[in-house]
Amino acid sequence: MNKYILPVASALFLGGLLVSWVTHGTGVVVNDPARNISIPETLTVPLQVQAAYNDETMFFRYRWPADRPGIFHDVLVYQDGAWQVRGNAVPGSNPDGLHEDRVAMMLDDGSVPEFGRYGGYITIGAGLAGLTDEAPEEVTKYLPATRNRLGAWDDMAPEDVQARLREAGYFLDLWHWRGGRSNPTGYSDDQNIGIERAGDGGQSSYGTNWDKESSQPNVMFNPEVTGFAALRWDDIMAGRVTQDQAYALTPEVSAPFDADRAWQNGDVIPRRTLRQPDGSRADITAPGKGRWADGYWDVTLARALDTGAPQDDKILRDLGMYDVGFAIHRNATGGRWHYVSLPQRLGLGREADITAAHFSGPQPQWGDAWTDVTLFYPGQVTWPLLNSKAHAGAERIAEGVPVRFRHTPEQLTNYGIEVEFTDQIRRQWLLTILAGVVLIAGFGVALNRTVSATKGA
Amino acid sequence: MAAYHVVLVHFPIALWLSSALLIFLRVISDGPLGQAADRALPLFLVLGVVFGAVTYLVGLNVWAWEAISSSPMGRNHMLTASWSLAYFTLLAITRLMQGDALWHGFPRLVMLVLSGVGVVLVGVTGTLGGHLIGVYTEVGQVLRLLGWEIYTTYYVPNLTVGLLIGLGLVMAGLGLMAGRKASA
Repeated sequence: MNKYILPVASALFLGGLLVSWVTHGTGVVVNDPARNISIPETLTVPLQVQAAYNDETMFFRYRWPADRPGIFHDVLVYQDGAWQVRGNAVPGSNPDGLHEDRVAMMLDDGSVPEFGRYGGYITIGAGLAGLTDEAPEEVTKYLPATRNRLGAWDDMAPEDVQARLREAGYFLDLWHWRGGRSNPTGYSDDQNIGIERAGDGGQSSYGTNWDKESSQPNVMFNPEVTGFAALRWDDIMAGRVTQDQAYALTPEVSAPFDADRAWQNGDVIPRRTLRQPDGSRADITAPGKGRWADGYWDVTLARALDTGAPQDDKILRDLGMYDVGFAIHRNATGGRWHYVSLPQRLGLGREADITAAHFSGPQPQWGDAWTDVTLFYPGQVTWPLLNSKAHAGAERIAEGVPVRFRHTPEQLTNYGIEVEFTDQIRRQWLLTILAGVVLIAGFGVALNRTVSATKGA
Repeated sequence: MAAYHVVLVHFPIALWLSSALLIFLRVISDGPLGQAADRALPLFLVLGVVFGAVTYLVGLNVWAWEAISSSPMGRNHMLTASWSLAYFTLLAITRLMQGDALWHGFPRLVMLVLSGVGVVLVGVTGTLGGHLIGVYTEVGQVLRLLGWEIYTTYYVPNLTVGLLIGLGLVMAGLGLMAGRKASA
């Protein structure tokens, strides 16, 4: 019998190692909407970028994959005499597949030096909406110096300090193209990030299509123009509503809502009305409007190099160097469920990560030369966390070492997910170390006792 | 402490990899070469464990516990380092206790396999340590192909934890049973 003990123990030992290998990494990372946790299946997405400029206008072209075009934001669906809202933001993808696709670009001229080193991470303060520990009121992206203390989302710097920061250029320009709320008008939203993420001065391209008093939409599609007063839910769900038809309530296709019309279950009216934006908020156009085809979005944006609004926009100059960071939303996601890039250098006529070529004439002739940027799901990594003792690289940040020196998008997306489960993973990791040591020790006892028994025989 | 850890870690790595080579030589040779390898083996194993333990303790002070236990790469490095140290401690104790008896019959094959697993463990530990200080190798890519994304923490679910601990206890029980039968 003794001669079988060591082979059996050996088999158990190797079997234990094999089971460990096969089952590792399971049992902890699971979606938990109650904690605002929803991990996308795909962690990185390729984005292609081109940039060009003439004497007056800056152009960017973006291309990224999306299984279907997110051209709807939230909608109103008629059901049994009432209009119900569908397409709200939820953790992860909206279950109806409704929530507009977007591409966003943060832009800085060096006035926010941390942005060039750490990109959008510096805008992720404590308490942001969508985090597991989100603040009781909605908190959007903000820059660190707009608060008195790191990690205190509600401890605002004094108003005069905020104003002086803004005058000093301490804000990020935010180009924010929206597949449902801006693109049908031929515009991109124009926003900025300072004390919060806010729209530039002027009027946005969208409003809310809802009359609270009568609990009904304000407008519907104009049947005399479009041939219908509402879209059909089944058509939207089946992907039969495309960019080649009227799908958004632009002024040209809208008419006052007719409450006496014979509405049918499944009629759909967008919950957003679109309009001509104005002021500084209308600085960025989408020439030709972004188009989705064959699984890819192709979006071109244009803006004056000098918009004349230096406290809303970063003014661009020939041969200037700038920092940019990109993000996309796809698969009916909103809030923090986006894919982001590390900061990139943009050079206008100068060699950089993204080199914008100078051209003459009204429109650039885009060639096939793209800059490939890897976007990644960032998880819940906040700027206070990165500067805390829980981040081994906090000292490197204090020394000004750029994120790209130590981390890749592939690394950061996995780290970002693990941050969402820090305590659970730490516990499981310690148990795994312990279990491995017990396995090794158990085999050691079997090996030594068996060999000792052989010697004594 | 990071610099001291990096300096110290060369000693256990060299001693443990040399120990694996000595075990291999003893397994394939009963002649003078194998005998010479076996005579040197205890010293290499013991020194490896001593330097390994010192390096491990110094390594614990490179970062605050909060940082190393929050970092996937830090966790992975510490996990494989813990297992490497436990593993070569087992080999050292076994060689010191059993002497020449290890090189006869089935234990001879066991020692060969154990030393091979030990080399892999130390190699992975070193690879992860390299990543931690920004020195990357393609070994990480090999581990990915084998099913482990090294930028995620290596942990097993509770069921596997229970199974591994249970297997350890069963193996220890089998060993105790073998000892009793022999003395009976």
